[in-house]
Amino acid sequence: MLNITSILFYAFSIVLLGAATMVVIARNPVYATLYLVLAFFSAAAIFLLLGAEFLGLILILVYVGAVMVLFLFVVMMLDINLARLKEGFLSYLPLGLAIAALGVLELAMVYWTAPMGHIPAPAPFPGNYDNTRALGYVLYTQYLYPFEIAAAILLVAIIAAIALTLRRRSGTKSQRTEEQLRVQAKDRVHLVDLRANKH
Amino acid sequence: MTGADRWSDETLLQPAWRGVVRMLTHYLPVLIFLFIALLVGVVPLLLGAALGPSKPDSEKLSPYECGFEAFEDARMKFDVRYYLVAILFILFDLEIAFLFPWAVVFDQIGLVGFVAMLIFLGILVIGFIYEWKKGALEWE
Amino acid sequence: MTDITAHWTLALPEIWVLSMACVTLLADLFFAEKLRDIAAVLTGLTLLGAAVLTFMLMGQRGTAFAGMFIADPFANVINLFSYLAVFLVVIYSGRYLRERGLYRGEVFVLLLFALLGVMIMASGGNLLTIYLGLELLALSQYALVAMYRDSLMATEAGLKYFVLGALASGLLLYGMSLLYGLTGSLDVRDIAAGLVNVTGANLVLVFAMVFITAGIAFKLGAAPFHMWLPDVYQGAPTAITLFLASAPKLGAFALIIRLLVDGSYGVMAVWQQIFIVLAIASLVVGNVIAIAQGNIKRMLAYSTVGHVGFLALGVLAGTLNGLASALFYTVVYVLMSLAGFGMILLLTRADFEAERIDDFKGLARRKPWYAAMMLIIMFSMAGVPPTVGFYAKLAVFQAVIEAGYVWVAVIGVLLAVIGAFYYLRVIKVMYFDAPEDAAPEIARDDVAAAFMSVNSVALLILGILPGPLMAFCIYALQGVI
Repeated sequence: MLNITSILFYAFSIVLLGAATMVVIARNPVYATLYLVLAFFSAAAIFLLLGAEFLGLILILVYVGAVMVLFLFVVMMLDINLARLKEGFLSYLPLGLAIAALGVLELAMVYWTAPMGHIPAPAPFPGNYDNTRALGYVLYTQYLYPFEIAAAILLVAIIAAIALTLRRRSGTKSQRTEEQLRVQAKDRVHLVDLRANKH
Repeated sequence: MTGADRWSDETLLQPAWRGVVRMLTHYLPVLIFLFIALLVGVVPLLLGAALGPSKPDSEKLSPYECGFEAFEDARMKFDVRYYLVAILFILFDLEIAFLFPWAVVFDQIGLVGFVAMLIFLGILVIGFIYEWKKGALEWE
Repeated sequence: MTDITAHWTLALPEIWVLSMACVTLLADLFFAEKLRDIAAVLTGLTLLGAAVLTFMLMGQRGTAFAGMFIADPFANVINLFSYLAVFLVVIYSGRYLRERGLYRGEVFVLLLFALLGVMIMASGGNLLTIYLGLELLALSQYALVAMYRDSLMATEAGLKYFVLGALASGLLLYGMSLLYGLTGSLDVRDIAAGLVNVTGANLVLVFAMVFITAGIAFKLGAAPFHMWLPDVYQGAPTAITLFLASAPKLGAFALIIRLLVDGSYGVMAVWQQIFIVLAIASLVVGNVIAIAQGNIKRMLAYSTVGHVGFLALGVLAGTLNGLASALFYTVVYVLMSLAGFGMILLLTRADFEAERIDDFKGLARRKPWYAAMMLIIMFSMAGVPPTVGFYAKLAVFQAVIEAGYVWVAVIGVLLAVIGAFYYLRVIKVMYFDAPEDAAPEIARDDVAAAFMSVNSVALLILGILPGPLMAFCIYALQGVI
């Protein structure tokens, strides 16, 4: 039963896995970031195929559009020494692979020994199914409380980002337009009444 | 019979997925676009590699900088202020993301949903005032 | 649809703290130049108002926001002790923060948001709210630790805390997703109902419990998930360490109650085994490694790991008495570490951190009352009668023995004896060693000293009369089990 949706699913999955692998093994961190963009993009396509239209688009909008820009900034900002970054890669590799293998093994055990069969299949989507509408409806009714907590978390993130990175530096030569406009003649020119000496 | 209808071959699909497939057909042009973009991007590269002459030597491959040897790595430290701008952009980008589903279901969620979004925006406006007053938006 | 906002008044303390955090932020932004103390004063008022609101709602049970929010005595009790802890943090740390240029509105606002995170966890009825509360708390903590930007140690501590904390959040989320896969619900009570037919032989359940417990253990600082704790406690500015050792521990205890007791009490046998391992490992690591420390902040960090081990003993008993003794232990631990780190803060000067054990040399001669307070605190941490630390340990051991884990209790007692050594060393240094010549004069800080005195004497009084506090803890947990 290989219809076009399945073909697309496998195509995007292969691209996703390939891109994710390249993120890890790419030598140049900028390339790795760009592969991450590709990975996010493929994941967005898979979300779309699953019917999660809104999530797919948000993934592109927020992750590809904003988070990756931040990643690129950070990668460039860090002044990474590529040679040093790769140091110890081989010595950590066996440990990393062992942990990854353990994770895969655990997942496989979970999957094969205890299929999650208690849950009934989701109800069929109605013909006029609209993912964004469905999501919006629960978000602003049932999930109203977590939604407001999310606002608090975003506020904390704003405060933390500014408090941790913003530092006023003294002595920068910047132009302050408002002060230039507000300036008056008496601030700049001091007229001294100098009488010529009588003699 | 339109192309979209032919694509969602309903004998092949479980009924649960019909709504999704109908949604997906709207994205068919995007898929075609992606495919063509891929072709346009990749084919010239492949053609160039296959047809063009390639005789590299050490001089041709060495980096060139105004007739001198390269002085230093092209990579250098960026000012942390770029990072601040980027992270503030992400935060407000996320805020906007919440507005889309809200606008779509605005007719169903009533006053409660409206007030919920007002509070959400209010909290973030406080963050914005903080950001503004602290001078995080200024580039001195 | 109107149901969603029904009973919203149950969340009034949370709403108040959120609103006041925003007010404090704005007030500090606009008036800090003229009124330097405005953020600290507003924080104090916020805590006072929240305490009044919580007292008014005390004992009410119910849910709000579609079951996302649970109001019960447990949440009330956790909230009240968290207010007290943050209040003492504000009192003890004022001078220290001022002397280091950290007396900024952001610090107080982040303290309030961290408190809000604890409150949200304490009354979380849904995996999503619990997780968001945890993230709100954690994010505020990372920022607080790294706030002292002139200190390389603090920045490093902040980064370590962030990376490892993110890992722990990932573990917790993975466990939660397995729990969701198993029961099809994020609601804690639905999960409890869904787990009725699931046995301990179910591998998905085992993995879910392992990951959730690992996440909680990290947040508590239980061995073998304690690696971040000494570095962060030592690296963070002492005022922030003081906070890290207080309200967040109450939040972590709330995680245990909401996720493991409310949600998974039916499958207690699964997580009980994990807690036995956590408890014994923490007791060994905390009490043995602390002996080798010369830095008192680092020593108290390892002592925290040891205390978490005792707390875990109470949890693994799993009975009402056990959980109540664990809550009692958590509250007592918070009071003791507030006093302990508060004492370090009292001895600091602008350019002197007072963080070596040697800095306490001859304190009895230089400032007898401070030395006496430190004596009570150290005795209480070591569990010497008649201090409250003794009673807390006793209650935990009783509960463990009642639950049939005599051998675990025996190990606990042995390690408590080993642990007493390094607390007594501090006392020996204070009373029998000569003061160091370089030790700067002790600063005058009357308000902090007054509250410290009350705090230390309370450790003694609670030890003699532990009944009311224990009754309060049992009252908190009665509805939960």
